[in-house]
Order: sequence, then structure tokens, then C-alpha cells
Amino acid sequence: MAGVLKLLLKPIKTIKKFSLLGKTSFIVILLILLVAIFAPCISIHPYNVSSGPPLSPPGGEHPLGTDELGIDLWAQICYGARVSLLVGFLTALLAALGGGLIGIVSGYLGGWTDKILMRIIDIMIVLPDLPVMIVMAAFFGPSLLNIILVLALFSWVFPARIVRSQVLMLKEQGYIKSAETYGAGAWYLIHRHFLPEVFPLVAVNMVRLTGRAVVAEAGLSFLGLGDPTSKSWGLIMHHAINFAGIYFTPFWKWWLLYPWLALTLMVISLAFISRELEKMADPRMGR
Amino acid sequence: MTADGKYLLEIKDLSVTYRAVHSPVKAVDGVSLQLRKGESLGIIGESGCGKSTLALGIMGLIKQGSIEGEIYYKDQKLTGLPEKKLKKYRWKDIALVFQNSLEVLNPVLNIKEQIGEPLKTHYNLSPPEIDQKVVKLLEMVGLNPKWRHYYPHQLSGGMRQRVLLAMALSCDPELLIVDEPTTSLDPLSKNEIVRLLQKLQKKLGFALVLISHDLGVIKKLTSRVMAMYCGQVIEAGITSEVLKNPMHCYTRGLLNSSPNLFKYKDLWGIDGEPSSGNSVKGCAFYPRCCQGEESCSQTRPLLKYVALERMVACHKGGIETFLRAEGIRKTYKLKNMEIEAVKDVSLEIRSGEVVALVGESGSGKSTLAHILAGVLPAEAGRVFYRNKKVEGRWATKMIGGMQIIFQDPFSATSHRMKVLDVVKEPLDIIKRGSKQEREEEAVKALQTVQLPVSPEFLDRYCHGLSGGQRQRLAIARALVTKPKLLIADEVTSMLDPSTQANLLRELKGLQNRHGFALLYITHDLHLARKVADKVYVMYKGEIVENGVSFEIFESPKHIYTKQLLKDVLSVSRDAPGS
Repeated sequence: MAGVLKLLLKPIKTIKKFSLLGKTSFIVILLILLVAIFAPCISIHPYNVSSGPPLSPPGGEHPLGTDELGIDLWAQICYGARVSLLVGFLTALLAALGGGLIGIVSGYLGGWTDKILMRIIDIMIVLPDLPVMIVMAAFFGPSLLNIILVLALFSWVFPARIVRSQVLMLKEQGYIKSAETYGAGAWYLIHRHFLPEVFPLVAVNMVRLTGRAVVAEAGLSFLGLGDPTSKSWGLIMHHAINFAGIYFTPFWKWWLLYPWLALTLMVISLAFISRELEKMADPRMGR
Repeated sequence: MTADGKYLLEIKDLSVTYRAVHSPVKAVDGVSLQLRKGESLGIIGESGCGKSTLALGIMGLIKQGSIEGEIYYKDQKLTGLPEKKLKKYRWKDIALVFQNSLEVLNPVLNIKEQIGEPLKTHYNLSPPEIDQKVVKLLEMVGLNPKWRHYYPHQLSGGMRQRVLLAMALSCDPELLIVDEPTTSLDPLSKNEIVRLLQKLQKKLGFALVLISHDLGVIKKLTSRVMAMYCGQVIEAGITSEVLKNPMHCYTRGLLNSSPNLFKYKDLWGIDGEPSSGNSVKGCAFYPRCCQGEESCSQTRPLLKYVALERMVACHKGGIETFLRAEGIRKTYKLKNMEIEAVKDVSLEIRSGEVVALVGESGSGKSTLAHILAGVLPAEAGRVFYRNKKVEGRWATKMIGGMQIIFQDPFSATSHRMKVLDVVKEPLDIIKRGSKQEREEEAVKALQTVQLPVSPEFLDRYCHGLSGGQRQRLAIARALVTKPKLLIADEVTSMLDPSTQANLLRELKGLQNRHGFALLYITHDLHLARKVADKVYVMYKGEIVENGVSFEIFESPKHIYTKQLLKDVLSVSRDAPGS
């Protein structure tokens, strides 16, 4: 297990090797993370109770202005970061764990198991995910957990495919064959050889999945399928858009712009980090 | 007394014990043999194994010891006969050519007198007749008769050997015992003596007992051979068969130490010394045997038939068979064709053997290796490891089992694992010993393959190592389980010549000490010629020729082998010049 621990320490070294863009992106994500964690401390006003005049522009007491109920937007965005990050990371983690395991099983066992799993993956890829997600979100009811589960259900295929192909390749390696001749069981091979070997790839994929999940959650919330009690960025935008005639007023300049900005910053940063990591995981790319 | 009167000489359970100062020494220990008229028997063995004592015993010349057992010459019991009667047989019926040295000839008598002495005692001839006879004898052994007027110290070694032979032949014996006829002779006179003996035996028709440790001489002159160790016969059989395929570790050790059988192969002596002194309880060869087990030291093995015309005294029935494969077949199915990678291959690897599997790339060598190790399933055929069928991984997942080293060193070790972790991985999987013990074993294995064992190196990741280092790492990992059989697929391809030489010597050392066997897959024929005991030649999935390495390399039979050897070995001969 020491090997896995080392692998967890490795990111610090990896980040040092990032390009400037990558480092900036990492700092942005770090800031969003800090904002999410310390949301109660850095937002002066409550995020769910009116604290000033409605629709006041940025400046003064409300740095980012207020919405139609007079609730502070900065506070909403701070708390929204929590939801976005939670959904993003949990989805990615679930998808990576499940997908990774399925990929290892499929690749290592081969045969019928592999065939069946691969067909399921094919079906999942072909299915248009947004409509199905909308149907499912509507069907299971709008709760944060449901959204995470639904998103994970559509995300596991990517890590599964990557891991499977990697395991197929690894299976033919001499050292795996040797380990098998010494009598190594499936569990030994998985935790000693397959996991450490596929971990970097899955990690890269996880970052990308996080970005995807954040956007998907925002999209669902935007369509009104998110948890109405939560305060995600998508939901702020949903409310803003639903405000009749928002584009005829200057309100969109803060009410819509700031949550959008936060979302875009986060997604772009994640994309940059994932690209950066991909380069590192596979030296043949880039360079 | 004898069962049938056909035997010229029959020895039953003969033991000779010398009365030494401290304890009696049993020089010959329960030896039995039969010899028909005109037959030739070779006796081989290390010095001090009792060969010469046996000869002296037959002649009745043991003075300092006691003799047990019976010797019959043409139905006449010789043992227990009074000296006077024995003398009648000596020289006239049984003659001994002594081991060549100055001492055996009387320095104050000239050659004529020396040779004439037995003639005088047995035939009562007059001096001119003796002179005539001596001249005839000297001519017969190819020595100029003028030498009969000289004294022994004035003759060369080869000449003295001829004189000794003439002496022995003076009374026309029916049984000639020759003790080391060629030691201390130069190759030329050695060949002459051998040819002379061949000629004389043909002409005079005597039965021959030839004692020698020169296996080349034995091969040329005898039809049957006995190997002696500590006064006991340990293997007996037809000379050509025994020399080609020894079935006792000791006989094989003797063969491996003989340069004149196969010129290219490396020389390896047998480790340790023979136990001196009194006969031991168990197998006499046990302390030096490469496949000995505790049980071997309990009882003495009897000389038993293990094959046609072959007797071996070994608790294990001779050299053990480690791996036996029968009718292995494997076909690869590609899109629109089938490739028969291995077609009905059978092969056998015995304890302490280096078997080389040679053939061009794509001939199915690696596929066969993978099947033997159980990495690939075979379509047909069975593999047995130590007479137990190989199923699953039992043969490879134990200490002292079978191991395979794969061809590609870069894929054979994981690039993200550390040196120490790689080497001790088999022990980790087998769960042997404590962590510290595993590490010690791993360090030992690394030393064997000449890799550094500094903590700094042990902590390095494999991707930072060179191809040669990773290849050695893979070998170390295989050796850490102390395998009895190693299947090595092109394992020295990435090594520099020096490391390769050291590694192969190390493996050969293991082979000779512990009965380690190696299936060495290679296309380097020079190397194969140097290290292999047996060779299998593979061509298009089939074993086209197999046999003892000197046979294959010196007189290949299959057209492919001939071509292969011609191409590879002759090109290299030109190389230095071109």
C-alpha cells in the first residue's frame, strides 16, 4: 500500500512541472476550493435570506449585487461553489472507481464477461446523455444525491474503457505473466500492478469528468431539474433567466454574469489541468 | 562353480581392505564383473577410486591387505589359491601392464633381461631362444629390437610403455589388464599406443581390461565400461551409450571434466573430494551428488538395471528427469490462416543438464517455452515436472520449482517498481519467510547476477536501468526462488560478453553443485556449443534433431541443422580475417 501512498504524494511534484497556464488553472481551482470551504467566513451576508434592496448593482455593501429578492450574490456564489465542487468531485470519484473496477474486471477476465461489459459500454456511449439525464432527474426527483448518481451513471464508461485497454496491454507484459507464474491471484495483481499502473490515467480522466459533471449539474439546474433547495451556480442562472425580461434590464450584468463567470473559470481551469496531466501521463503527447 | 562356463573372468563381490596405520581402508568394495573371451572392458573413475587395486586384486598381488569375495578364471577359483599355484596363472593366463613409471622396471636389468624373465620362468627356454622371442615381441609392439640392450632409464616414456606391453604379452595371455597405458604420454605416442593395443587385440584375441581416466582411450578401446567410485561400481553399460548418455551424476561429472570428448564445451570437475577411509553407510557419492537428498545417506544403493544393458547404483534410479513434454501442439489462428507454431514436440530435461533449444526466429521456440512453463495453454500434449503433470501453476509457484525468464527484459520487469521489490516479488507472492529474510534472499540473488546491492540501487526504479541491468534483474527474480529448472528465453541477448560469461558460469556452477537444470533458448550457436549438454534443433515448429551436443555440433544429420551450423559457425571463422 506504500506505493499507492507515494502516488498520492506525487501530485505535488507533478504540479511543479506544470506550464504557467496549468499553474494558473491550478491556483484558480484552489481558490474556488478555498472559497467553498470557507464560504460562511468570507460571505458577510446570508445566502438564503434577503439582506438588502432587491436587484442592487455591484458595489457598496454587496460586492456582486443582489437578486430579485435582495439576496447577496457573492454569498450565493460562495455557497454555490460548494455544490458544484461536491457534485463534480463525487461524480468523478464514483465514476472512476466504478468504471476503473469494471475496466479491470473486463480486461483481466476477458471472455464473456468482457463481451457483455463492452456491449453495455457501447450502449451507454450511444445513448444521448442529456435527454436521458433530464428524464431520470425528473423521475427520481430533484435531490443532490440523485443528480450525482445520475451523472456518475453516464460517466463511468470513459474510465472503464481506458482502464480496460490498459489492462489488456498490461496483461501481455512479461512481469504480469511472471507474477502469475509465482501464483499471484487476481487481487494481488489488481492492487500491486494494475491499480498503480492505471491510476495516473484514471486521475487525468477524473479531472475531465469533474468538469463535465459540473457543467452537467449546472445544465440540469438551469433547466430547473436541480435540487431547488440547494444554491448551485446553475440554479442562480435558472432564476435569473426566469426573471421576465432580464435582457431588457441591466440586471443580467451581474445576476447572470457572475455565476456564469465562476462556472466558466472553473470548467476551463479543470480542462487545462487535465490537458496538462495528460501530457505528463503520456510523454508522447505534446512535446 | 560358475553358472555357465562361458566367462573367462568372473568376479563376485570382491572387496579389498588395506591395513593402514590408523584404520583399514576399503579400496575395493563389493565389485562384481564378468568378462567373456575376447571382450574389452573399461574401468573409469577418479584417482583413488580403487581401479588399480581391482587390477592388482585380480592378479593376486595384494600383499598389504585382505581380500574378500571370489575371483574365477575359467571356472578355477583364484582367491585363496597358494602363491605357487597363482604364479602359474600370472603372466601365462592373466597379464598386467603396469602403470607406466620408472619404478616398475628393474633399473639394473636391461630390456632383454626384463622381458626375458617371465619367458624363463614359464617356458624354460634357452638364452638364444629367449633373445629371438624378445626381438619378436619388441617388433610386435613397434619398438626397434636394438633397444633390448639398453637400460630402462635410457628409454623414453612411450618406449617404456611398449616394453611393459611386450613384457605382458610375452607369455601369450588370454586376459590382459592394462593400467593407465597413456598417462604421461604426448598425444602422438598416446595415439600410437592406442592403435597398437587395438591392433594387438585384434591379432591375438585376448580379453582386455583397460583402466584409465582418459575417456577418449576408453571410448576407442572398449565395448563395455564400468565407472568406479570409492571402490564401488556406480554405473556400468555399453561404452558408447554411457559416454553419450551417462545415467549417474558421477559418470556425467567425469564426462564433463574430459576435454577430449567434446572440444568446445566448458570443463567442469566434480565438486568436493571422495570420502576416504572406511565405507560409509549410505550412498558413497551422496556428499558430492548434485541431486542428493537426506534419504540417500541412509542405505547404500544397489547396482540395478535401469535400462537395457545399463546398470546404475543410485537411489533415484540415476539422473532424475525434471521436465518431460509429450506431443505438445499449438496453433495460432489469425484472420485467414492458421500458424502451427509448435507441432508435436516432445522433449526431456534431466537434472543438472543444460539443454539448448536452437532455431531461427519464428520457429516456435518461445511458444514452446511458454507452454512448458504453463503460461500458455497447449492444444494437445502433456508436460510433466518431476513426473507430476503440470496443471495450473503448482510447478512454478514453489521454492525449488520451475521458473521461466521471458525474452524481453523491458516488459519482464515493471518499470515503476523498485529493484528490491521486483526481486523479492516471487517471495512476497509465495509468502515465504519474514520481510527481512526475503530481502536477504533478494540481495543474494542480485549478487549472483552481478548487480550492485547498495541501498541506493535497491531503491531505484526499474525505468532508470539499462536493458542489460533489467535482464539481469529478471534473472535474479527467477533465481530468488531457487529453481531446479530454469527456462531461459534468450536471456543473455542484452548482456555484454563479460557479464554474459560470468552469468553463464554462475548458472553452470549451480548446475554442477545443485543439479540445477536449464532450458536455454537461443540462436547464438557459439554459446550453445559452449554450455549445452543436449541440443534440440527446432525448425518451423518441429524438433528436427536432438541429441548430445557434441554429436549435433560435430556431425549434424538433419539438413536444416547442417545448413544452420554451416552458416553460423563458418561465417564466424572467417570473421577475424575479414
